Amino acid sequence: MQAHKLAALGELSAGLAHEINNPLAVIRQEAELLGELLVPGILERFPDGQDIQDSLREIIRQVDRCKSITHNLLNYARKNDPIIQAVDVNEIVEDMVRLVEKEAKCRNILLTRDYQRDLPLVFTDAPQLRQVMLNLLNNAIQSITGRGEVAVSTRRGGPSNLEVRIRDTGCGIAPEYLERIFDPFFTTKSPGQGTGLGLSISQKIVARLGGTIRVQSALGQGSTFTVTLPINETGSNHA
Amino acid sequence: MPERPRVLIVDDEERFRKTLSRLLSSRGVQVHAVDSGEAALEHVAKQEPDVVLMDVKMPGMGGIKALAEIKRRHPAVEVLVLSGHASVDTAKEIIELGGFDYLLKPYSIDDLMAKIDAACERKQAKYRA
Repeated sequence: MQAHKLAALGELSAGLAHEINNPLAVIRQEAELLGELLVPGILERFPDGQDIQDSLREIIRQVDRCKSITHNLLNYARKNDPIIQAVDVNEIVEDMVRLVEKEAKCRNILLTRDYQRDLPLVFTDAPQLRQVMLNLLNNAIQSITGRGEVAVSTRRGGPSNLEVRIRDTGCGIAPEYLERIFDPFFTTKSPGQGTGLGLSISQKIVARLGGTIRVQSALGQGSTFTVTLPINETGSNHA
Repeated sequence: MPERPRVLIVDDEERFRKTLSRLLSSRGVQVHAVDSGEAALEHVAKQEPDVVLMDVKMPGMGGIKALAEIKRRHPAVEVLVLSGHASVDTAKEIIELGGFDYLLKPYSIDDLMAKIDAACERKQAKYRA
C-alpha cells in the first residue's frame, strides 16, 4: 500500500514538475531580458535604480530555487533501474567524502575516516550509491552549527552485508520526527535549505539495491545513519 | 563555425519564442521561430538552420516526432531538445534519434548559448570529416 502510494506520488510529482518548469523558463528568460534592457545609464536616472537591479537578481535567484525543487521532484520520480557492477564501497565513500571535505573545513567541521580494509566488492549500482552517500554526508554537515565532527566508517556488517556509517555531532533529530524523516517532503531544515526529498530518494535507492538505511539520533547530540548493503554472492574478495 | 549561427526555435508558447529570440539575437544568433513540429519541418526544408531548439510537448506532431523527421530528411541539422520534463527514457530516445543534446528547463541563456556553440562545432566537424 505504502509503495503504491509513493509510486502515485512520484508520478504526480513528475507531472507537476514538468508543468512548473515551463513557466519557470519563461520567468527566467523575461528576467534575463529585462536585465539586458536596463543598460547602464538608464538605471542611474532612477532614484531606486539599484533596487531594480537587486530585485531582478532576486527573481532569477528564486527561479533557480524553484528549479532545484522541481529537478529534485523529477529525480524522485525517476524509475532508474540499477546497473549492477562490482563496486569497491570504500572507494565510493572516499570519493564523496573528498567532495564535501572542502565545505566541512570551511565550516570548522572535522571529517574522520575509518574504512575497514579488504572489504569484498559489492555488486551494486555505483552512481546511485554515490548519490546516497553524498546526500547523507551533506545532511551530516548541514546538521552542525559551529564546530563539530562527521565520522565516516565502513565495515563488514555480517556474512552477507557491508555497513557504511555516517555519524555527526550535529543538532540531532527529535524523537517525534524520527519516524517521518524518510517521508517525501518532510524536512526540518529552514525554508529554502531543503526540499525534503533527499532522504526519501536515498531510502528508495538503497531499498532498490537490496539494502536498508537505519538512523539513531538524540536531540542536541547528533545522528548516526547506517547504510547496510548486501554483498552479492558472486562478489569476490577484494585484495 | 559560421560567423552567426542560424537557429530555429520550435515552441508552442508565443512569449517564450519572442523573448528567447531577442536574447539570442542580442548574442549574434540569426533566429527564426515557429510554433509547431509541422512548421519546423516546412522551415527547415526551405532554409536549413545550424541548430533547431525543439520543445517536446506541443500540439500536433510533438517534438520527438519532429526531431526524428528532421534528422531523417536533414541529417546535418543539429537538434537540441529543450523540455520541462527529464526522463531517462526520453533522453535515450533523443540520442538514439540523432538529437544533439537535451537541456532541462529552466536554464540560463549562457548555458543555452554554450550548447548552441557546441552543436555548431559538431556540425562543422562533420563537414570537415
